[in-house]
Amino acid sequence: MPKCTINGVDVEVKDGATIMEAFYKLDQGIAHYCYHPGLSVAGVCRLCIVDIEGNPRPQIACNTVVTEGMKVTNQSEKIKDGVKWVLDFHLINHPLDCPVCDQAGECGLQEQYMEYGKYNSEMAEPKVKKHKVVDLGPTVVLDSERCVLCSRCVRFTDEVSKTNELGLFNRGDKTEIGTFEGKELNNKYSLNTVDICPVGALTSKDFRFRQRVWYLKNSETVCTGCSTGCNVKVYYNKEGAFRVKPVYNEKVNGHWMCDEGRDIYKFVNIEHRQTVAQKITAGKKSEMIPGQAAIEAHQVIKSTSESNLAVVLTGQYTNEEYDAALNNFKTKNIFHWKNKEENWKDFDGLLIRGDKNPNSKGLETALSKAGINTDWKDLESGINSGKFTTVVVAGPENIKAYPYFDDRVKMIAKAKNVIWMTACSNESFKAFQNNALIIPMKSYLEKAGTFTNHAGLDQSFKKATTIVSHALTLAEASFLMTGQALPMPATAAAPKFMEHDRRTDQVMIENRKKNEFVFKRGNL
Amino acid sequence: MSVVSNKPDKSHWYFISILGGLFITAKHLIKNLLNKDKMMTLNYPEQKFEYSPRFKGNHVLTVKKDGAIRCTACMLCATNCPAECIKITAAEHNDPAVEKFPIAYEIDILRCVFCGFCEEACPVDAIRMGPEWQTPGLSGSAFTYDINHLAYRPQLKGGVVSVVDEVERHKSGI
Repeated sequence: MPKCTINGVDVEVKDGATIMEAFYKLDQGIAHYCYHPGLSVAGVCRLCIVDIEGNPRPQIACNTVVTEGMKVTNQSEKIKDGVKWVLDFHLINHPLDCPVCDQAGECGLQEQYMEYGKYNSEMAEPKVKKHKVVDLGPTVVLDSERCVLCSRCVRFTDEVSKTNELGLFNRGDKTEIGTFEGKELNNKYSLNTVDICPVGALTSKDFRFRQRVWYLKNSETVCTGCSTGCNVKVYYNKEGAFRVKPVYNEKVNGHWMCDEGRDIYKFVNIEHRQTVAQKITAGKKSEMIPGQAAIEAHQVIKSTSESNLAVVLTGQYTNEEYDAALNNFKTKNIFHWKNKEENWKDFDGLLIRGDKNPNSKGLETALSKAGINTDWKDLESGINSGKFTTVVVAGPENIKAYPYFDDRVKMIAKAKNVIWMTACSNESFKAFQNNALIIPMKSYLEKAGTFTNHAGLDQSFKKATTIVSHALTLAEASFLMTGQALPMPATAAAPKFMEHDRRTDQVMIENRKKNEFVFKRGNL
Repeated sequence: MSVVSNKPDKSHWYFISILGGLFITAKHLIKNLLNKDKMMTLNYPEQKFEYSPRFKGNHVLTVKKDGAIRCTACMLCATNCPAECIKITAAEHNDPAVEKFPIAYEIDILRCVFCGFCEEACPVDAIRMGPEWQTPGLSGSAFTYDINHLAYRPQLKGGVVSVVDEVERHKSGI
């Protein structure tokens, strides 16, 4: 455990740790492009130069191992000047087309320039022209001119996805990132290359030109794509969600996430959503607000005896909602709708798991805690025999993850009364012809809660945004359906604005008389 | 409450000021009778006053030499707009050298405060404030100017050419 001094602050690091890791540990700023904590060290950008006491020349922080008693600084005039000139070399062939570049606003080059650069280029030669808008594969577009050749994406395909699609071609200032002829960047983690690209060279086809990044807010949440439960950041504005990026969590996903998970935001947006509740009686549809529909559902449930009521839950709701639903529906006929259970144990070795529900484990735990052990076949036979007259379904948010969704809807539609709670609208709901209620639900971005991932790790997340404002959560719906009032969150008493009815700096009337404007008013 | 005292002995002198005012009126009357062309007033609907070309009136989207829209849909004008009246939808261009262009560019002119920040923010001289100021309309929709109106309305006679030319910039090595 060697100790070193970074900019005058002592720090102890692991054996074999580099100076860069010491900088990261202290959270001190250091300019760098090619270093990424999740990848190997390349040492190609030469931007992370630091002064080491006793060493006549600047060294790069990412590839220098800390030794005992090392004194490091990146605040000296020599280093500041050096970083400035390294940055100038990076910008020699950079087109500076920030207005049309999608990375503008979150670009490493812009940030470093504002922090360390601020100079006028002294390059007289014309810029080298390279390929623009290169179609690398189904998800990524490359602009070679913007590339600073940090080789992060190349190392990512070598080390993390292990697909080796990308490489550096040619030499000197003609060097370009690219794929071999006939090959394309097509793997399940390809969009991570866009995240780690410090400039706008690699852009995602899905997000390209849809929004400028400064119009987006972000919120940290948990990916609902599979039971891994990657920590993600969702970028959204009032028009809806636009993209998903991974957040570092050592226990769950490290620095990465899969391409599949990045599409999960799509069904949350308003065009895919069930926005109003529908009541279907004898083929006729009428629309109402969700709360009203839940109260109508209460009338149906009240008229059904406990043994004739069946509740179907899917693994796409939060633990809090399961607890509320299991408490409120007193019936023991609660079924766990499992999609493709035979694939649930699948794992690709990095992140993607076969269980495409975020919270199957949470539902299983909740059911076993309530002492409920049911089989899906009982539901089918119960509906066919007419035992279950009323079926309440908390349907999946992400319907794409349910391959036999259509068949299951048709099967459940045979019941006398169906109450279907769903976040997304779907063509399959046409199967409901008689006595059905479709109640809109909130999606995972619109509520706070906890998901339990495949390993049993509870991950809480906060509400990000509101898209369908009057939609219900499963907890709210279960309260209304069982004839209870919604539990109002207890709010603390409003803090008093002022202790007395007077400001502390208020001028008293006797002092006000001495005010010159009041005093001399007659002369004005 | 303050009391301001009147001074009646001073107030008799108002008559001189009235004579001064009448003198100015008479001066203008005689001037206008003798020299009708230099009259200060206009017969407005028939006669119109021409503002200087630097007047900040209705927006103009400039075009390239080939007549295509100069705008690159960078949204800097929309970001800078204090009235939030600019709405741009960007799209991918077929030509890789152009890359990005607006398929929709709308200005809600009733929200616009004519501050000229859009013009200042534009890095490629794609939007300018023109000299037009008299633009009535019969319905509210007439005041949402779309991309065709902004770039190719008849008054512009085929479009105003931008001073920033990408082809020339590329040739000079930028």
